[in-house]
Amino acid sequence: MASPPAREQEKKTSSIVGFLKPYLWPIVGLASLAVTSSGIGLITPKIISRSIDAFIHGTFVMQTLLLEFGAVIIAVFVITYLQNIVQTFTSERVAKDLRNSIVDKVGNQSYEFVEKITPARLLTNLTSDIDSIKMLIGQAIASLISSVVIVIGAATILFTINWQLALAVLGIIPIIGGLFFFVFSRMRLLMKKSREVIDWLNKVINESVLGSALIRVLNSQGPEFDKFVKANTQAKDVGLQILRIFASLIPVITLVANLAMLVILMLGGHFVISGSMSLGDFAAFNSYIGLLIFPILVVGIMGNAISQAQASYDRIREVLDAKEDESNGTLKKELEGRIEFKEVNVKYGEKFALKDVSFEIEPHTKTAIIGPTAAGKSQALHLLTRLISPTSGAIKIDGQLITEYEASALHKQIGFVFQESVIFNLTLRENIAFGGVASESDLKKAIETAELDDFIATLPGGITTVISERGSSLSGGQKQRIMLARALTLNPKVLLLDDFTARVDNKTEQKIVSNLMANYPTLTLVSVTQKIAAIESYDKIILLMEGEVVASGTHKELLTCSPEYVQIYDSQKSTSNYE
Amino acid sequence: MSKFTIPKKARATMNNYALNKPGTEENKSLWSSIKKMLPLLREQKRRIIIATVAAFATSGLNLLAPILIGHAVDDYIQKGQYHGVLVYSAIIFGIYIGAVITSYFQTLLMGRVGQNVLFALRNSVFNTLGSLPVAFFNQNKAGDLISRINNDTDKLNQFFSQSLVQFFANIITIIGAAIFMLAVNWKIGLVAIIPALFLLGFTRILSPWIKHKNALSLKNIGGLSAEVSESIDNFKVVVAFDRRDYFKEKFKEVNEINYKSAISAGIANNTLTPTYGLASGIAQLSVIAYSITLISSGQFTLGLLISFLTYITRMYDPLRQMATVWSSFQIAFASWDRIHAILVLDSDLIHVSETKALSSAHVMEFKNVSFSYPGGKEVLHSVNFAFDHGKTYALVGPTGGGKTTTASLIARLYDPSEGVVLLDGRDIRSYDDSARAKKIGFILQEPFLFSGTVHENILYGNEEYSNLTNEELEKIIHDHGLEKLLERFDDRLDTAVTATGNGLSLGQKQLIAFIRAVLRRPELIILDEATANIDTVTEQLLEDILKKLPKETTLVIIAHRLNTIENADEIFFVNSGEVARAGSMQQAVDMLLHGKRQS
Repeated sequence: MASPPAREQEKKTSSIVGFLKPYLWPIVGLASLAVTSSGIGLITPKIISRSIDAFIHGTFVMQTLLLEFGAVIIAVFVITYLQNIVQTFTSERVAKDLRNSIVDKVGNQSYEFVEKITPARLLTNLTSDIDSIKMLIGQAIASLISSVVIVIGAATILFTINWQLALAVLGIIPIIGGLFFFVFSRMRLLMKKSREVIDWLNKVINESVLGSALIRVLNSQGPEFDKFVKANTQAKDVGLQILRIFASLIPVITLVANLAMLVILMLGGHFVISGSMSLGDFAAFNSYIGLLIFPILVVGIMGNAISQAQASYDRIREVLDAKEDESNGTLKKELEGRIEFKEVNVKYGEKFALKDVSFEIEPHTKTAIIGPTAAGKSQALHLLTRLISPTSGAIKIDGQLITEYEASALHKQIGFVFQESVIFNLTLRENIAFGGVASESDLKKAIETAELDDFIATLPGGITTVISERGSSLSGGQKQRIMLARALTLNPKVLLLDDFTARVDNKTEQKIVSNLMANYPTLTLVSVTQKIAAIESYDKIILLMEGEVVASGTHKELLTCSPEYVQIYDSQKSTSNYE
Repeated sequence: MSKFTIPKKARATMNNYALNKPGTEENKSLWSSIKKMLPLLREQKRRIIIATVAAFATSGLNLLAPILIGHAVDDYIQKGQYHGVLVYSAIIFGIYIGAVITSYFQTLLMGRVGQNVLFALRNSVFNTLGSLPVAFFNQNKAGDLISRINNDTDKLNQFFSQSLVQFFANIITIIGAAIFMLAVNWKIGLVAIIPALFLLGFTRILSPWIKHKNALSLKNIGGLSAEVSESIDNFKVVVAFDRRDYFKEKFKEVNEINYKSAISAGIANNTLTPTYGLASGIAQLSVIAYSITLISSGQFTLGLLISFLTYITRMYDPLRQMATVWSSFQIAFASWDRIHAILVLDSDLIHVSETKALSSAHVMEFKNVSFSYPGGKEVLHSVNFAFDHGKTYALVGPTGGGKTTTASLIARLYDPSEGVVLLDGRDIRSYDDSARAKKIGFILQEPFLFSGTVHENILYGNEEYSNLTNEELEKIIHDHGLEKLLERFDDRLDTAVTATGNGLSLGQKQLIAFIRAVLRRPELIILDEATANIDTVTEQLLEDILKKLPKETTLVIIAHRLNTIENADEIFFVNSGEVARAGSMQQAVDMLLHGKRQS
């Protein structure tokens, strides 16, 4: 929004006018309907003044008046109705197309992009930004055109009737225009402020909805309410500031318009008395001034709507013009499962999330990545599925850089069970077969492996029960198992588990692990976990600390060579005693 | 089974809080919507009255001018007396100046009314949200709820800050113009007004349809936002499961539905405007035709005809503006209905007076407690157990067995469907919220952080330490033996927490929740899988911290990892609606490993 207008003119593609090109014909139609209806509307005062003059001269014919006037009002009615329908269809069409192209674009973007631009911002793009563009087409274009037609048309007619009086009366146009310019430049600042306050309010509301359980546990409704009142008071203050401007603007504009009437009375009256103007023309002047004032206001308001739409369009353009992830390869072969990290670094700002990480994983083996909180374990898994990209270094699968693979081919063969449970508002079946291509037997096998059969049997609609976003009726462990089944329906060659066992009880966990072995024997398993007991038999254990590989090897090897590992092992010893 | 007879005061079922129940499609009249808004306006009575007086003065003054102009035309212009024209002009100028002043106050006062009502409305929505139990938030999609509150209050904001002032001024101008016309010549006045009456009837007939279409469109917008939020918030899964196409297709579907309902809403909204133009034209035409016949017979004057034409504009222009404002009116009232649906909800967690008969020496006791979620099967069935001061209890059992539900009942996030929960020997429902919250600390399974800093999040909801500086807080954290945990955060207490909380790992969030709970020093702390994503070394640190808690603190630990519960004094096995006491650790292990699962 801050970019100078001169630059906006230069890059033609970003102008909203350029974007509207495909809708040229509906918009041209809209414009011509608007021009026609307001043009016809301009005739009315003329008909009235002619009738008055004719009456004074005794040549008045009632039928002519009824016919002419009747034709005009019916024509205006039909045309404005048509215009409204075209407006609605065009603006909604543009909104729909624009929404679809945003989503198409976002759908092709990387996870990193979405996180950077934030989901909230994308939601604003899809709702309120689109609304202001819709507003532009739905109302601004037509009313702007018809307002201009009316102002120019009425002014021309006034000049032809009596140019001296016209000149005197039309002096109001620059005065109102100047007022508007002054007020709206101040208004823009306030509007921006008001938007910021609303964002603040919304943030407080969002957090109080998402954190509702915590707020109730801590009984912190009071402080939350104080937070809200603070934001709300600010919102009210800004609202009152805007109001004060409006409260002075409206009377002043009315006054200016009224003064125009007064000029007509004084000057026009003089002309009528001196015989240089007819009484009918005097009446016509009065009517045309009445017609003129509203369109002048509309031009001012719509000018604002246009700049708002342009600002919204600029924000949307940022998303649409963002560079797509071009590193998509073409390789589509079936994965064996050999994974290799070579000197991989992931850096956020100055901080390393992963530093110089190198390791290899043999196909069809089981590997565990362990380490303290915030050691970079999840990042390693994210890298493997290209959810994030390394700052430097190479990640290979079966000897090929993962960027050489076609992304979807890779994702279809790598199953990922995330740490946080993500449940979509769909049926259980759709949630599990989320990968899309699962056959009936794949689905059955996945459900069986994740030990979900018993759970599904308790649901009223079985597997077709719709489960909800926040999944209140589901326990943490149930959600995790649904996530596992989801990954397994892909029939993956590589399975990534991110702290899967944290929310699943031991008994179920053991069952699931043995199910995995039996049902997916060739799987390459990479598991981020906290529990050493469960991974003692793994082929390889990688210990990550502060983003660096501290040690790697089998359980036995690590016990002899890694003091850090021994420390963690000791802290969990009692667990293994019982299991 | 205990031999107690429980007072059956507890409600049989939990309230159903789902806002989007099928079949609740609003079809109420506009009037009933307005009536629901009246209590909000009552406090603004004085302002409204003064604003109304000012508005009548404004429209009276503004309407006086045309009649004076008409007289000037008849008495002076047509008779060629310019001096009279100048005198009239001076009077009219004075009237205009008066109108400026009254109009300023009218706009300002009515605008204030709008802002004050909006302020009060937002506060009461937020207050209601605060008073509702967790069940409300679990039964409604967060995305839908947020959209409902944000978008709908925003629509009301537009209404109150813009449309209301305009609407109010217009109504008074219309009434004033009608009165003037009838006063000048009641016959021609009637001719001018009749088309407007037809319009009103027409609007009345159409407005339920318009409102319905708008409500539908709003609902679909909500659906669209919910759909997008769900996918974008979980974009990771969409990417990893290669479902980008699915995301796009699914969006296209809701977008198409939204498109269709938006078009029918748009067409509905635009039906009125052209009709208003038509009515205004008919009024003008009939007045001219009728006036001219009257003038021919000497019953009316040309000057007054010119005044009348101005009055018609003064009456029909505001009417047409109102037709434009009308759609924003309809939208505002659709929004208001949706907000009102929240405002009328109240908590199903009722307060009961103290019942001495039920006293017990335990810090926490469940007596014949049963619980089920609305429409769900029973999670707990007539459960009895008790916790004592200073002991550590562990709840174990398979996932979905009812552990978290039990914990939620302890913290009174829900009330039991049957039976009573006793806290320190008293019915938990007899405590006021702050007293109960002080006694019970609950570290939730899914930690939530507020945007801000780690410092703010640690002290969140903590009255005692609320104004501490970083140094003071560091010292207190040190005193509680928590200082090592702070090392897990890059900028210690100043570490920023963003709105999505994505900068922190799940484990880090759990650490903050842990520190927060410990610093509050509750009598009973529940840890619901609270350390599940924390590495075992840190976890051992947490255990040491827990051991250093005051002796009388009761700990309730829910965990899968057996080592986290090895220090428990008692172990309860929660499954299939029962909470059974396990005699020993070994027995608990056996139950976990071999126990029959029938969930």
